[in-house]
Amino acid sequence: MQVPTIVVASPKGGAGKSTTAVLLGTELAHAGAEVVMLDCDPNRSLSLWADRSALPSRIRLLGDVTESDIVRTIKQHDQDGQIVLVDLEGVASRLVSRAISQADLVITPMRATTLDATIGVRALQLIAEEEEALDRKIAHAVVFTMTKGVKSRQHIGIEASLAEQGVDLIKPPLMERAAFSALFEFGGDLRTMPAQGNMEAAQENAALFAQAVYQRLTRNV
Amino acid sequence: MADSKPFQIDLGNLRAREKDQSPHTIEKVDHAGDELGFVPREAQKRRGRRPSPRTGQVHAKVMPQVSDEIAAEARRRGVQQGVVIEDAWSLYKDKSGI
Repeated sequence: MQVPTIVVASPKGGAGKSTTAVLLGTELAHAGAEVVMLDCDPNRSLSLWADRSALPSRIRLLGDVTESDIVRTIKQHDQDGQIVLVDLEGVASRLVSRAISQADLVITPMRATTLDATIGVRALQLIAEEEEALDRKIAHAVVFTMTKGVKSRQHIGIEASLAEQGVDLIKPPLMERAAFSALFEFGGDLRTMPAQGNMEAAQENAALFAQAVYQRLTRNV
Repeated sequence: MADSKPFQIDLGNLRAREKDQSPHTIEKVDHAGDELGFVPREAQKRRGRRPSPRTGQVHAKVMPQVSDEIAAEARRRGVQQGVVIEDAWSLYKDKSGI
């Protein structure tokens, strides 16, 4: 059975790609899915997370996936009934464009700043180019990361601008939470780590985000 | 709290498309990426033998001026350079008592 491939992509470093990937992977696995996560970032963020403690059940991690083997690696795993979740490096590279070509859903994490939005939009432009080249739609959505309880004017402006352009915005955004950044200190998931701040709110935020992604994966693509 | 109403994934509901992985398609993707600056950034593997640190030659055998002299002598005698080297090896063996 072929299941979806989710690609987390933004050419902007520090946008929250790896945090998004870990939260999504662990929440989908918690909800019963088999997930294989591909660490394509030379900084090996996902591998560092995986080294911290035992991987949660139903998650496998493959590291050191490169430009030359990304397409083959996705193909090898997307037939196995596992959701393939690809975490990319924060640069504009051929690895990114190849991974996007194999995606059923591209998620672009973006902090609500002008710089993140300006650079993050390049991922959306690339998707549009690839859609034209491949003559198929590539579902994509933006998720705001590290958001505050009260939205800044900048955040409201960027959100409105993206919505005007017809960009799909995932709600809820991923809030700035101590528990989210602590995933890379303790490994595992939000249920296994020692309490960091308001765990209940963090778990709810992550679960609702994963549900919003799941809804997008169940639409006809 | 999330675990009070955990959502469950029904794999049967998930939708995925068949993707084309042919070299022609990947070429189109690469081209689309190149146009927007999504270019190869991985270090390319070097093919073949690395230049000798001693002579700078790719196939290091002897120093360049010696190589030129061997080539000139081979041309003069109308033989392959290897013949000159075989002669030299023979003289070396006699001299060294090998």
